[in-house]
Amino acid sequence: MDWFYRINIGLLIVLGLTTAGMLVNHEMEAMGRPSTDQSKSAALKKKYEDQLAKNAWIYKEVLTLEKKGEVDEAINRIKKIMKSRPEDAYSLVLLGRLYYKQGHLAQAVHSYRKAIQKDPDYVDKNTPLFIGDEIMKLISSARGKLNREKKLKPNDMQIRTAINDIYYLQRRIAGGCE
Amino acid sequence: MLKRFLDISVVTGLLLGLGCVGLSLLGNPVNSGICLSCFLENLAGAMQLHGHTRMSYLRPELIGFVLGSFVMALATKRFRVTGGSSPVIRFFLGFFIIVGCAVFIGCPIKMIQRLAAGDLTAVAALLGLMFGVWLGARYIKAGVHLDRDRDLPRINGYVFPAFAILLLVFLFLRPSFIVFGQTGPAAQHASIMASLAISFVIGCSAQRSGLCITGGFRNLFLVGEATLFFGVMAAFVSALVLNMATGHFHLGLNGQPASHTEHGWTFLAMVLVGLASVIIDGCPFRQVIKAGQGDVDAAITCFGMLSGAALAIGWSIRSTSAGPTFAGKVAVLLGLMICLTVVLFYRKSLSVVR
Repeated sequence: MDWFYRINIGLLIVLGLTTAGMLVNHEMEAMGRPSTDQSKSAALKKKYEDQLAKNAWIYKEVLTLEKKGEVDEAINRIKKIMKSRPEDAYSLVLLGRLYYKQGHLAQAVHSYRKAIQKDPDYVDKNTPLFIGDEIMKLISSARGKLNREKKLKPNDMQIRTAINDIYYLQRRIAGGCE
Repeated sequence: MLKRFLDISVVTGLLLGLGCVGLSLLGNPVNSGICLSCFLENLAGAMQLHGHTRMSYLRPELIGFVLGSFVMALATKRFRVTGGSSPVIRFFLGFFIIVGCAVFIGCPIKMIQRLAAGDLTAVAALLGLMFGVWLGARYIKAGVHLDRDRDLPRINGYVFPAFAILLLVFLFLRPSFIVFGQTGPAAQHASIMASLAISFVIGCSAQRSGLCITGGFRNLFLVGEATLFFGVMAAFVSALVLNMATGHFHLGLNGQPASHTEHGWTFLAMVLVGLASVIIDGCPFRQVIKAGQGDVDAAITCFGMLSGAALAIGWSIRSTSAGPTFAGKVAVLLGLMICLTVVLFYRKSLSVVR
């Protein structure tokens, strides 16, 4: 082995030991702290709690009107809120729920679709926002009715769109890698 | 007949099919127990090559495949380091293979899984893949081959397995720059040890058998040889049986997980995957296995696939349950154009080939 190999192997050993030492030292220091995963989980849990509390506060009036059965007024309130908070997917969830109560199935299905496209957490079983069961209830009552309407009015674009929305919701609730 | 049945390709197919459904049952997303394109998208996210945290997780299965193949190749003295065959073209074809997969929502293995779960939207994908492979086989017959590879210094072959080992270290140490998403598909995963063990065994077996989804069809179309095809069939049948046994078989077009109903684009996307895979000699799964056994060209293809996965999500060159995006459609057509251009440039006259 000539000097060239000796120097290079020596350098490799020095660099290897230094790197390993740095990593071990870093890990030893990190052992006392909560793991990144734990702190991320806690932060996520807090985020959802905050979001639920915020929703309850912002939509307090709407929820009260809904309970009283004043659905039209509740829808008007939501539409006003949507103008100031267009990014909020919860408005669309509530709108879908209210349209369903009114029997406007196509509009209800479309609102739920838009809500999920805005915030996929609503169909994620691992989050407290999950409303998959609520949507499935809507789908099972809307599917038969819309299919019957499609037979009566085969060229009605609104019915076709509603059926496509139903299939979309079913695919999203079924899960998969998306 | 029994000897053929017990062929290592069939055994690998059985393991693959059982692994696909088994990993889904253990926690991986539905119909995505094993999906190379989804896993690469997750890996790209974990490495912060895109910013979609719902698709960011360091999938242990990728590591298991590479290390399984690496260990088996070393143990059986099949670790042969080759490369130098049109590397840049392989990189870009790898890129577009993943774009095609992203528009279909799944690699050829996931296509088999989806079919085995009763997802009829994957029929268009199967037809597209078969047509793409058939087209590729015709081009091979017409004298289209990429450059010949050559033996390279041994260190080149260790780079990709070393990359897999580095990812394994990241998986256990979880440094802050590696993102592990906590919602969506990223949060759906089997335990690390189960994923590693299952994928390691499949990686070992796939190295021995050379199982490749597109290769199975290619050999059948090109020379009527069905060994690999039986492996593909074994994967389908084992996944189908396990899905039926566990109540995960739901036959239908609508309501299938991670699917869409734009069948024309599904067909074209998988034509791209089939054709490009034949040109570079192997589906995404086979490329990962070959990269583990010292094939530097396959390793370059894998890095191309990783880039494709990053941009498929980052630039939305893909499909969602709502259907393919505009960028996804354009990218599929662009990918097909690139494949045809490569074919034009690499056609050697038949007299030279013979």
